[in-house]
Amino acid sequence: MSTDKAPPDLDPVIHAQARLRVVAALNVLADGDEMAFGSMKELLGMTAGNLSVHLTKLEEAGYVRITKTHKGRTPVTFVALTRRGRLAFEEYTKAIRALLDNAGGVT
Amino acid sequence: MVEDDRPPSPEEMLRVIEEQRAATTKWLYGDPLLLYMPWGVAWLIGFTAFFLHYGLDGRAYAPISQMQALAVLMAAQIVAGAIAAYGIVRMNSLVRGDSSARGAMFGYAWMAGMLLMVVICLRMGPLLPPDETGLLWAGTSLLVVAVLHMAGGAIWLNWPMFFIGAWVAAVDALGVLLGAGWHALLTAVLLGGGFIVASVWLRRHDR
Repeated sequence: MSTDKAPPDLDPVIHAQARLRVVAALNVLADGDEMAFGSMKELLGMTAGNLSVHLTKLEEAGYVRITKTHKGRTPVTFVALTRRGRLAFEEYTKAIRALLDNAGGVT
Repeated sequence: MVEDDRPPSPEEMLRVIEEQRAATTKWLYGDPLLLYMPWGVAWLIGFTAFFLHYGLDGRAYAPISQMQALAVLMAAQIVAGAIAAYGIVRMNSLVRGDSSARGAMFGYAWMAGMLLMVVICLRMGPLLPPDETGLLWAGTSLLVVAVLHMAGGAIWLNWPMFFIGAWVAAVDALGVLLGAGWHALLTAVLLGGGFIVASVWLRRHDR
């Protein structure tokens, strides 16, 4: 079940530096909290277009929930990690740790 | 597509996770230095003024009236409160959801606690000698501070906050037992100074 790039057992949706940072940042929020798109952009140092692309990929995988709303007249977008996304991030972190442990054992 | 060209190594990815977690925590919850330092400075200055007014043996160490000491403490606390309010408003613009509701309820608990304290002190204060009146105000206000820090620790599972609350409770109890002069001295040094030390320590240890 492996793709071309990601080693086996590593979630290909998360196994890209930019998306990993998005997920790691959202994982800091408590359950039931959402982060504003504008502030995410600032925190991650990404352009709006760049961040949108990654968020769309994560949304397609069911890892993030994107809510569009208005604050006064200006549209605001909020992003949150879904339960599935949180689980996927936990699994990914576990897999990375396991890989490192194995590598340490062999060499 | 914006993708990394080469597959990153597990070490790199683990480092990225850790760095992003730390950066996000700091960015969201602010600098512990800004959280505790202003209150530490306010109490150090304000209660030192009260200490100089009361003295330890019933004689003032400096010609400061109780009202002047109160004015110094209040002015310093208004600055600390303004900094805290700025941090809360900033965080609310970044995140919405359950934690906003939690923070709002916690904020109202502070207001209710302080209001109730004022009502009790306004009613009971005039019945006491001036030094004891001052002790009543200081002792009950620190009661609210202690209990709500401990409760905040419970809400956010924040151990430093919980222990800071317990520390305030212990110093307040000891000070009230020893009298107005000692209470002011202990509060200035152990709580004012303590908060300053705690803010620096918490920043170094990254929570």
